Amino acid sequence: MARGWTIPLLRSERSVSRFVLACMALGFIALIGSAGTAGWFVTRAQEHASWVEHTYEVERRVSQLRVLVERLEVSRRGYLLTRRPQTKDTFTASVKSEPILISELKRLTTDNPVEQQNILTIERLTIDHLRLLSRSMMLADRDPALAIAVFNHDQSLGVTRQLRETTQAMLDEENRLLQPRIAAQREAVRVLFYALAFSGALAVATAIFSILVLRRYTRNLVESRDEVQRLAEDLEDRVEERTRDLSRANEEIQRFAYIVSHDLRSPLVNVMGFTGELEAATGPLAKLVDKVEAEAPQLLDPEAATAAREDLPEAIGFIRTSTQKMDRLINAILRLSREGKRVLMPERLDISPLADAIVASLQHRLDEIGAEITVQPAMPSVVADRLAVEQMLSNLVENAVKYLKPGVPGRIAISATADRGRVDVAVADNGRGIDPRDHDRIFDLFRRSGMQDQPGEGIGLAHVRTLAYRLGGFVDCKSALGEGATFTLSLPVHPITQGPTP
Amino acid sequence: MNAHQPVTIVMIEDDEGHARLIEKNIRRAGISNDIKHFTDGTSALAHLYEAPDGPALNGPALILLDLNLPDMSGTDILQKIKADGNPLRRTPVIVLTTTDDKVEIQRCYDLGANVYITKPVDYENFATAIRQLGLFLAVIQVPDIELEA
Repeated sequence: MARGWTIPLLRSERSVSRFVLACMALGFIALIGSAGTAGWFVTRAQEHASWVEHTYEVERRVSQLRVLVERLEVSRRGYLLTRRPQTKDTFTASVKSEPILISELKRLTTDNPVEQQNILTIERLTIDHLRLLSRSMMLADRDPALAIAVFNHDQSLGVTRQLRETTQAMLDEENRLLQPRIAAQREAVRVLFYALAFSGALAVATAIFSILVLRRYTRNLVESRDEVQRLAEDLEDRVEERTRDLSRANEEIQRFAYIVSHDLRSPLVNVMGFTGELEAATGPLAKLVDKVEAEAPQLLDPEAATAAREDLPEAIGFIRTSTQKMDRLINAILRLSREGKRVLMPERLDISPLADAIVASLQHRLDEIGAEITVQPAMPSVVADRLAVEQMLSNLVENAVKYLKPGVPGRIAISATADRGRVDVAVADNGRGIDPRDHDRIFDLFRRSGMQDQPGEGIGLAHVRTLAYRLGGFVDCKSALGEGATFTLSLPVHPITQGPTP
Repeated sequence: MNAHQPVTIVMIEDDEGHARLIEKNIRRAGISNDIKHFTDGTSALAHLYEAPDGPALNGPALILLDLNLPDMSGTDILQKIKADGNPLRRTPVIVLTTTDDKVEIQRCYDLGANVYITKPVDYENFATAIRQLGLFLAVIQVPDIELEA
């Protein structure tokens, strides 16, 4: 039911959620408010009820008083006629309870001046009444006939009538008060009901709204989670596919390199072999020229002499150096392709002792040129192929030693940091540095940078990069000309699981 | 080499240049034995087993074997020669090839190669190696072939 439930006016997700939050907060505030109001109305209703109850209480007392007055009257008359002691007891008891009742009434009606006035009248009348009645009772004990005669025209009837009237007036007054109090009470109950109904409706509305919002957010969350999961699976598949493609391509290249370098070597043997034969042949030839020159100079053609003595050895020399270089290059390709075919044996490696060993192997050279290598102690460890890591690190360190700035004492630092499943091993030197334009090039096979005053074929860094890629890492260079260079070898702490290239 | 019967050197080498250089340097070492050269595996095997003057039917031989042949791998030939019950199994085989791959070298020795030599690209070394091989051939004792009864 909440499908497509959007608020078109609010565009951004953040403002939507802000709006929803505000709505919910408002809902809850209204709920608390209406609950408070309801409570207040309950108190009000209780107040009204107590007033109504109070009125009834007053009415009850007034009625009791009326009954009492009648009983006094009745018990006196009865005593005058029968002079039974029980009747006298009833009379005495009634006389005792009358003032209590009146004072009670007085207390109950302190808030009402009209009733107070009535009470005062009643008090006065009661006193008269009791005086008349008591006198009549006492007379009845001494002279019943006289008492009856007095009774016939004493004022007690009038007083009783007045009492009746006054108590009736009190009742009327109370009734007059009762009507609006009942109305007010009903009104209060009605309002309370409305307030409760309103609060209830508000609570239901807020609850529904909250549920809707929660449902919507939960659904959004679930959708996002599913989406992320789907993307992650997709990505994994793609990475796997790419890795397969890459390792296939890599294998192809390795095989190609291996075959090419092998097959290139064969003709090279011939070129070099027959160049050697040629060189050997120039010996007797030169001797012959010398002999002819000494014994029969007229037979010697100067061109033949130059050819035998200079041109041939020169040509042979060039062929020889070129083939030697070609041999080195082919060997380099062969080594790289072999390195690519080697099955890696990952093991836990501590980089510090490894670096120390490399430095130790270079110590003689370092002493010679006055350079110094510092190795950070207790570097993090990685799980990788020992030979490969050794090879890479020693290539980087050897390069640093090889390309120091002439005249500046070499300072090389080997350090490592671990971060999020990778270890970055850095080899920093204060050497001659590398032009940033060449930073990519130096990792290519047979490519070099800067002054070519050191022997080398441009193989070392290509080798390092090939190995780093095989281990799931990479190598990076930060340098500027004349300002030293920092090579960083980044390796995964654990080898990336991937079938070894068969 | 055996005094009573001359040992034939069978050279199986697809590269004519290499063959020529090897032959030259062997001769320089003073070896005058007959050298028979084959450029592919098929004709070499035919000679080894079927030729009336071939080693299987006639007298002792020494085999110089290159691994990179056009029609088959040198290791196939080696395997065939060194197989159990083969009449040529005691014939010395010297593998002479450009490959210096460790795995390949091990494989050849496992198959029964007697000597494995990598052809040095550097000619001086190559010539020296072959000449030394020649000297080695001069003193080597080659067993007689067990001719089939």
